[in-house]
Amino acid sequence: MVRLRFLGFRLLSLAGLLLVLSLVLFLLQEISDADPVAATIGGNASPEAIAAARERLGLDRPPVERYLAYLGGLVTGDMGTSFRTHRDVTTDIATYLPATVELVLFAFVVALVLGVLFAVSSLLRWPLAGPFRGLLFVGSTAPTFLLGLVGLVVFYQLLGWLPASGRGGVTDGPTGMTLLDSLLAGDLAAAGDALQHLALPALALAVGPALAIGRVLRSSLTETLGSDFVRTATSKGLTEPQVLVRHVLRNSVNAALSMSALQLGFMFGGVLLVEGVFTWGGLGSYLAASLPVSDFPAIAGVTFVLGALYVTVNTVADVLQSVADPRIRVS
Amino acid sequence: MTDTLARGGTTAAAPPHGPVTPEPVAPASPGPAPRRWGLSRRRSFARSGRAATVVDWTLIALLVGITLLSVVSPLLAPYDPVQPVGMPKLPPLSEGHLLGTDAIGRDTLSRVLAGLQTSWLLSVLVTALGLVIGSVVGVVAGMFGGWVDALLMRTTDVFLSLPSMLVAVAVSAALGPGLTNTVLAVLVVWWPYYARIVRGEVRALVARPHVEAARLAGAGWFRVMWRHVLPGVVPTAVVTASLDIGNVVMTLASLSFLGLGQPAPAPELGADTSRNLVEILDAWWIPLIPGLVVMLLSLLSNLAGDAVRNRLVRR
Repeated sequence: MVRLRFLGFRLLSLAGLLLVLSLVLFLLQEISDADPVAATIGGNASPEAIAAARERLGLDRPPVERYLAYLGGLVTGDMGTSFRTHRDVTTDIATYLPATVELVLFAFVVALVLGVLFAVSSLLRWPLAGPFRGLLFVGSTAPTFLLGLVGLVVFYQLLGWLPASGRGGVTDGPTGMTLLDSLLAGDLAAAGDALQHLALPALALAVGPALAIGRVLRSSLTETLGSDFVRTATSKGLTEPQVLVRHVLRNSVNAALSMSALQLGFMFGGVLLVEGVFTWGGLGSYLAASLPVSDFPAIAGVTFVLGALYVTVNTVADVLQSVADPRIRVS
Repeated sequence: MTDTLARGGTTAAAPPHGPVTPEPVAPASPGPAPRRWGLSRRRSFARSGRAATVVDWTLIALLVGITLLSVVSPLLAPYDPVQPVGMPKLPPLSEGHLLGTDAIGRDTLSRVLAGLQTSWLLSVLVTALGLVIGSVVGVVAGMFGGWVDALLMRTTDVFLSLPSMLVAVAVSAALGPGLTNTVLAVLVVWWPYYARIVRGEVRALVARPHVEAARLAGAGWFRVMWRHVLPGVVPTAVVTASLDIGNVVMTLASLSFLGLGQPAPAPELGADTSRNLVEILDAWWIPLIPGLVVMLLSLLSNLAGDAVRNRLVRR
């Protein structure tokens, strides 16, 4: 019962946040200099043509009505027409989204691995823990695009280990995610190729989040390992794995979980920078092409989709957290 | 950050690149740690004693130094940053061009110095304005409580729940190019973080006996706020802000990298990297140097932020 109520509350706030996001984007569109009429029919149209276009675009209606129309469009998957490509923004985004999602998810896995490695290596007496920690700290103060560039120079130009740009593997598969499609097609060589292309951008994207996740995990592990109930569990004769899984992990994972979700969300912002360096051809590249020409429907569309992913990820993490730690639901 | 808008590290408010989280202090565990996991008790990195004090003050001095440097940096530039002054693509340490020249022969050092000024001064400005706006909201919410508090904090929460980097990109795109607009765009997503923190501090202080005593003695709300609450809030706020400048540096550089700063010939660290991306395999230093400067600024402000915290929170 408590669980259901918590779930309902979280879903309601998710809906509320998406509503606010849509309102913010609508208001920005209102104050933006971009003129949708000039963008659709050109700047030299006759006054009649302009009036006709305004009516067609609904610009003659009051703002509240226009917002409701915009919101209705978002709900039904209509985000307007791009000034630049003259296609539906929804179609464009559907084309580019899989590449971005694949990169972010892969980078997230890398960040988790690095983060856990960071936390565990500083808890155990591992001689390389110090250098590893320092490297991660310095790396996390570098802007994402710089990490990408340094990776490019080192691993592509100097060592020749990894490809410099684009995506590899099966590029026309059903999911649009090259690694997944290659695996689905059973083509291991293609999967390897996809993996090689993913490696550098993912690493550049993962360094900052890895540090954040690792620090939180380390401090909660330290705290849990020193707690009375762990001592009790150990002294009543539970085996080490039992103590670790049932007592230590369950009590430590919480903070790390919400930090991971937060960082996954940030990655949907950081990916914009990485894609530019590696000509990845995802939403970041699409946005980068839309920004200089003030293609606001496209910009708003990308922001809404990535923003929606961000808030959804955080909501899911909240719910997962409440499963891991029932205390959250009650408070 | 960050990227990410990275303040998220510390709280939900983290800006773009995952915010760089301040190192959580490992709580002193009661009794000996279980040996079986080989748990090593972390020595806190020379955090007390003379050496640490010297290190901290050096970092703080560097922070002040970089601020002074950025005020005068264009005067130190050997050449005009927007005019070609030498052979194109000279490597660093070339004669007359310490950091080399870019693809059309502009002096990289001069451009970096000019970019440093914009980048650093704007970051300080954004942090300060964010701190002021956030503090006003936080103090009002904390002092008045009730529905005022609820209204302001729910608004803050909503802002904190939205992806700051993405919202900053959208705001900046809507407002158009230019420094003022970039600052506004970052401010829109930056103040809520401070509002949250300040409000929490104020709530805690208001419940303390000395505030109650002041109230009983007949002090008005303004006097209570000014004399009894604000002085307690300032150290936390300053520490938070100093730990945060690095995130702002990174966010501004990221926006600039995406082309949301000043228009073309203006020297800007992020934009100088993105405009020269094509040179990376040919003349790596041209796109790399401005990015490295961003990194140095962010590294310095992170370390110095820690130093400020150590010195202020010692009490």
